[in-house]
Formats: sequence, C-alpha cells, structure tokens
Amino acid sequence: MLRAIGVSFTYGRGRKARDPDVLNDVFLNVERGELVGILGPNGSGKTTLLKLLGGMYRPTNGSVTLDDRPVAEWSHREIARRIAFVPQETHAPFDFTVLDIVLMGRFPHLGAFALEGPEDLAIARRALTATGTAPFEGRAFSTLSGGEKQRVVIASALAQSTQLLLLDEPTASLDIGHQIEVQMLLRQLNADQGVTMLLSTHDLNLAAALCRRLVLLKDGHVLAAGPTEEVLTPAAVQSLYSVEADIARHPATGHLTVVPIRRG
Amino acid sequence: MSMQARCRVWLSAAAVVVVTTTGSTAPAQRIVSLIPAVTEMLFAIGDGPRIVGVSSYDQFPPEVSRLVRVGGLLDPDVERILSLRPDLVVLYNTQVELKQRLDRAGIEYYSYEHRALPDITTTLRTIGARIGSATRANAAADGMEGAIAAIRKSLSGVPRPRTLLVFERDRSSLRNVYASGGYGFLHDMLEAAGGTNVFADVRRQSVEVSTEMMLARKPDVIIELWYGDLARELDLSRQTQAWNILGSVPAVRNHRVYELAGDEFVVPGPRVVAATRRLAETLHPGKIK
Amino acid sequence: MRPIRARLAITVAGFGALLLVALVVAPVVGSTAISLPRVFDRSIPFADNLDAQIFFIARLPRVVAATLVGASLAAAGVVFQALLRNPLATPDTLGVSSGAALGAMLAITFHLDFKIAGLPAIPLASFAGSLFALAVVYALATGRRRGLSTTVLLLAGVTMTGFLSALTMFTQYLANFTDTFRTVRWLMGMLDVGSYQPIVTVLPMLVVSFAMFATLPRALDLISLGADAAAARGVNVPRAERMALVSASLATGAAVSISGPIAFVGLVVPHLVRLFVGSDHRLVLPASALFGAVFLIGCDLVARAAFAPIELPVGIITAVIGGPFFLWLLVRSSR
Repeated sequence: MLRAIGVSFTYGRGRKARDPDVLNDVFLNVERGELVGILGPNGSGKTTLLKLLGGMYRPTNGSVTLDDRPVAEWSHREIARRIAFVPQETHAPFDFTVLDIVLMGRFPHLGAFALEGPEDLAIARRALTATGTAPFEGRAFSTLSGGEKQRVVIASALAQSTQLLLLDEPTASLDIGHQIEVQMLLRQLNADQGVTMLLSTHDLNLAAALCRRLVLLKDGHVLAAGPTEEVLTPAAVQSLYSVEADIARHPATGHLTVVPIRRG
Repeated sequence: MSMQARCRVWLSAAAVVVVTTTGSTAPAQRIVSLIPAVTEMLFAIGDGPRIVGVSSYDQFPPEVSRLVRVGGLLDPDVERILSLRPDLVVLYNTQVELKQRLDRAGIEYYSYEHRALPDITTTLRTIGARIGSATRANAAADGMEGAIAAIRKSLSGVPRPRTLLVFERDRSSLRNVYASGGYGFLHDMLEAAGGTNVFADVRRQSVEVSTEMMLARKPDVIIELWYGDLARELDLSRQTQAWNILGSVPAVRNHRVYELAGDEFVVPGPRVVAATRRLAETLHPGKIK
Repeated sequence: MRPIRARLAITVAGFGALLLVALVVAPVVGSTAISLPRVFDRSIPFADNLDAQIFFIARLPRVVAATLVGASLAAAGVVFQALLRNPLATPDTLGVSSGAALGAMLAITFHLDFKIAGLPAIPLASFAGSLFALAVVYALATGRRRGLSTTVLLLAGVTMTGFLSALTMFTQYLANFTDTFRTVRWLMGMLDVGSYQPIVTVLPMLVVSFAMFATLPRALDLISLGADAAAARGVNVPRAERMALVSASLATGAAVSISGPIAFVGLVVPHLVRLFVGSDHRLVLPASALFGAVFLIGCDLVARAAFAPIELPVGIITAVIGGPFFLWLLVRSSR
C-alpha cells in the first residue's frame, strides 16, 4: 500500500555538496492492515522517513507511492485524506477544547471555509469514543495529562478518516502508565478496527510489543527489515545501539522483551 | 533662534516660578545670553557690545552672527560658556544643571522665565537694572508699553473679530494644528491687536485643535504664523489652500485666512511691538496709522 | 456545543450589532452637543448648520477611520498571534511600530512635503517604514530552512525593533526639538483625519488584506498547532504563512498610515474576544475585526470628549486600558 522506493533525503537545498544525507536509498513498504515499526536510535532519520512517507517532505531521490501512485502527484489535501500523522508532541498555544482539536482532523474533507456539519461532528465524537476521551470533550486541551493529550491527537487523526496512520514516537514523552495506555489503544485500533499503522520509535520494547514487522534504521540506512522475531536480535541491538542486550519472550505479555545489559 | 522660540512656546505650558535673580555688585561687562529675546533686549538698549556669547539659535539683530555660539536650552555648551569668562549668564530657569556649574565656578546668572506680554517689559526693566542700564531699559520698556497701548487705543470701539491664531501645524494639511490658548504673549498680542481669541477660555498657552473644535468655535479670522527655516522654505500662499476642506468655517468662507511670516512673532522681546502692529494691520486693515 | 455554522452566525450577528450601535452613537456624542434631527435638517443650508458640519466633517470621518483602523489592527493581531503561535504577539512584536516610527521621524526631520495620491508624506513614510521592517523580518525568517521558522521570526522582529529604535533615537538626537515633539505626537496615534482622503487612499489595500483574511481562519487554527501537523492535515503551509504575513502587514501598514501606530489594539481585542467566543479562529478573526472597530471607536470617543475642550491622543487611552489589561492577562496565565 505505502511504499518508499530508493528514497534519499538531504535537508539543505542541495546546493552545498557537504550537506549530509539524512536518508540514503531506503526501501520500505506497509501493507493494508499492518502495524509496522521504524526502529532506530536518535538521529537515525526515523522522523524524517516518516514525514517523507506522509508526503510532508519531498525526497531528494527516489519516490514514495501510495497504492502505486506517486505521492508527489497529489496535493497536500489529497494526501491528508489518505494519510494521517500523529506528531510526537502537540502544544496548543490557544485554549482549544478537546473537541476543537479533534474537529481539526476533518479539514481535508471540507470545503473552502471549512465549516463542519453534523456528519463531521458525529465522526469526531466516534473518534473520541474510540480513544476513550469522550468525557474530555469540552475540556481545554492544555489541561490534559500527556497520555490523555496523545489519545486526543490520535482521535484527531482518526477523525481524518484515512486508510493509514503514521505516528512519530507516540510514547516518547510519556510515563510508563500512559505508555501502556497508548500502546493498548494502538493495538486495539489496529486489531479491531483494521487501521493500518506505521510508527517510528527508539523504544525497543514498544516496537517489540506492538509491531509485527520492523524496519531497523541506522544512520539513514536500512539495516534490516522483516518480521519482528526475525529482525530483533541481540546482534541487531548491538549494531544499532552499541548495547549488549538479552532478548526473550516474556511469559506475562507473550511478546519479545529487550533487557539491556551493558554498553559495548 | 526660531527653534528657541518654538521651544519656549512649548515649554511654557509647564511654566511655574517667577524670575529670580541673584544679588550683584559691579555691572556686568561680559554677558552670555542663552535667550534670544534677552539678547534682542540688550541690543535694543545699546548694550549689545557687552555680549560675548549667544545661543545657537539667535538670528537678530545681524550683529549676533559675529558672536560665539554656546548652545541652547537643551544643550548649553558649558565649556564654551566658561571659556568666555562671563560675569553674567542669562539662562532659562529650568536649566538647573547649568546653574549648578555656574555656582561652582562662582559666575552669576539671571534666571529667565517665559510668560505673558507684561512680563516682557518687566524682564527688560529688571535686566536693565541688573547690568546698570536702568535708565535706558526703563525708557525702552516705556516706549514698548506706550506703542502697544497706542495700538490698543486706535482700535477701541472697533469690532473685534473672533480669531484663531495658529502657530504650528503639519505642512500642506490640517493635522496637528496648534493654536494660542487664552494665556501667554501670543494671546496678549492678539488681544492688543484688536482680535478676540477663540480659545480665550482655555487657560493654557497652546491648544491642540481638532477639526471639531475648529468648526465649533467658528473663527471669523484665521492667522497662521510661520517662522524660522519653514518660513523661508515654504510657499505660503499654498498653505492657505489646506483650509479649503473646512469651507463652512466663517474665516474660510469669507477668505479671511492669513499667512504671516517672521521671527518677531515668536520672540518675546522688543519686536513684539512690530509683531502686534502686523497682527493689527491684518485684522483691521487701514485702521493703524 | 452548537455546530460551527450556528456559532459563526451568532458571533457575527452579535458583534455586528454592537458595531452598528457604535457607528450610530459615536458621531452624535462629543465635546460639542449636537442634535441628530438638526444634523439631517435639509432646510438649513450646510454652511449655517453647525451640527451638520460637526457631524459630517469632524466626526464621521473620524468614526470611519476608527472603524477601519480598529478592525485592521485587531485582525492583524489575531493573525500574528497564530503565526507566531503566541497569544501575546502583536504587530509590534515584528517591528511594525519601530518601522513606522522611523519612517515618520525621517519624514518630519527632513521636512518632506510631498503628497502621493492624496497621502501626505508622513503617513506615507510611516507605511513604508513598517513594510520595510516586516519585509526584512520575513526575509530573515524564510532563509535557508524550509518554511517559516517562528523562532527566527520572533528574534528577527525583536532585533529589528531594537535596530530601528536606535536609528530613530539617532535621528531624534540630530533633529530639533519641535520635530522630535512632532514625531512623539505622531507615535501616540491620532484619528482626527478631517477628511476621507487618507481613508480612501488606503481602502484598496484594506480590501485586499481583508479578502486574504477571509481565507485564513481554519488554516490559522491548524498552523498554530505546528507547521508539520498542519501540513499533515492538508494545509499548504508555506502559502498560508505567506498569505498571513502579507495580509497582516498590509492591514497594519495601511492602518498606521491613517492614524499613526496605536498600541494595544492588536493585543487587547483578540484576548477579550476569546473570552467570549473561544479560540476557534473562524470565530475569533471576524469577531476581533468587528470588536476592534467598536473598541477604537469607544477609545476615540473618550479621547475627544472626556477632557473637553482638550483632546488626548487616542493611543494614550488604548495604552491606559491595554497596559493594566496586559498585566492582568499575565497574572491570570501564570496561575
């Protein structure tokens, strides 16, 4: 469904030869209904790759296609009708309510003056219910906790009614309680509602718990890609993080757990 | 000098205390005068030769062009003043720091305050006495008072038009118009010249006049005063056209808007007599001999 | 919560009614008492009808100027706050006032006396100054990096303000006392335009900028949450940011050229409006424009009538209201 084909990317306008390649010759694909993770250390280019896949940046080389059509051919609005993006953090400088935020997700489907109708309101409320944030509808977004905020932003992305959801480090700034909250929500949305998801993270255990397929990214290159069990090995962890780790299936959760042992 | 004049007209809104003098013994022979009006007074009574320094803005009489310039109200050049070795400095009452420096140097000074028409001759008499020229000063002062009284007398019984006396506005437009209020030497000159100030009821030297005020006060005559560089730069006949947007004001309707140029209008010194005469001739053509 | 269509209708109707009341009442009230029947009494020739003269020549242009200037400054304030993602931003933040001040100071000091299309030199120079400041700030902020960097925008604005103020002070130092006073006076704002000419001259600019404003509200909502998030939701962010900056700059520059810079309108009005309608820019933008007009009409009324026959510059009234309000905002937000 969503494919990156030989994608390279540089931040500068390409005029300086010395601008480093943030991404180099990356191949990636996400099929319908999948929950794929891009895993790598900070600075590996995960967020950039995600944003390229979401059409927010144009690749310097290569292309991104959605259902075999190049994303570059579409307008921002057309892309937004198909792909939704959940940023790592959302800060509201104004006193928007939760419902205000979620309704913003309807933007790509509305006309020039973007006035929602009752249908849009219903979709927004369904999204709130799906993320368990319906009780907060009238509250100011900025008064919510980190986990609640992330859930609201996910609801906003759901209200966008897209086939695909991209999430950038969805649990990076959350404590363990809120992490579990968001993790369970994402798993449930994927499993019960069939929402296709691609997320980027540096958290090995989140990747292991949530994603059935992983793409390991290091210094802008794809190190390995495939089913989690195959790809998430101590050798891979060593290569990505220079950390010796033990990886085993945890009896309580049933999925792989990574325990770091020492540096080196 | 024109700038100095403008300074005074502005600052007078905050004028407070009376003229003060410090005691003196021998009459001063080396006078530095920071006030153009006082410079003119000294020249008028024949004591011009005693002046060794004048303000940066002095322009009258022509003899001042040979004299050393020592700054003005905001920027008196203390070093230069001291280097002239004066025995009397005529300064503004508000120049506190300069006074302190002169005190330290043991130099006497005369504090000048700018107010209304009667104060001009009072100052003339006082400073005349201070420098030992009381006789000439009193004679000059008497002469001035007599001349103005004569103008007043020749206009007694003549109807007094309601007059707006403008001394400041934006060029080519009617924004930021400032006119004489009911106090100060401009007001006194106007009254002596046989006009009634439309703002006689406002106890201030200057009034910022809005469009509404101009309409509501309905002046029969508008006199605009121009001085300094502006008077030399502008084509004054074009300035009258700025008033055309207020065609319903009596003065505009009856074509009684006048532009007068000259520094004598803004220097409260001996030339107020000539200034008053010009105002009178403008308001009442042919009535002054 | 009622759907947005209903809320928009109510908001516009409510604030619109308020503006209508202000437009009807303000020209009638002032330091000179006039009667409305007499104003419209056709039997009295205009030259003899003082009430009509005051109404049509002195007050009506003033109220119209207050309406346009108030609406422009308030709307521009809303746009700048969204663009900078900061509710405390104003056109002044980006150097508009400093640019206007420098322009006016130069025109006054060098005795520029021309008129272009009915606009005298000082307002024209003021307008040019404010646009210059904004152009520099914009160029700096859209430098190498893709899109508009709000941090750079803010820093450039602060730097520009400082630099232009220094130039203004330098000019002031060289200028004489009267010219300095004139500039200070210009900077306090004055709505006594006396004729419709200055208004008519900038009307095309205002129409263009308000037309651009009309396309912005939802994009502003989205952009205020972050440029990437907005792009992900389908906003053409560079175009929206450009349009926001250009329209707000045009509106501010045009307003400043009519009346000189008037402080606090762009800050106080959006905040007051948000207290009533919430933060949705589709409501805040039109409501701020309408209420900005009402606010400035009211301030001008106080300025010209409270201390009759002396009139205060309108900028003093807006500052006296705006300053304490700003403090209250800060106290409230720090709790």
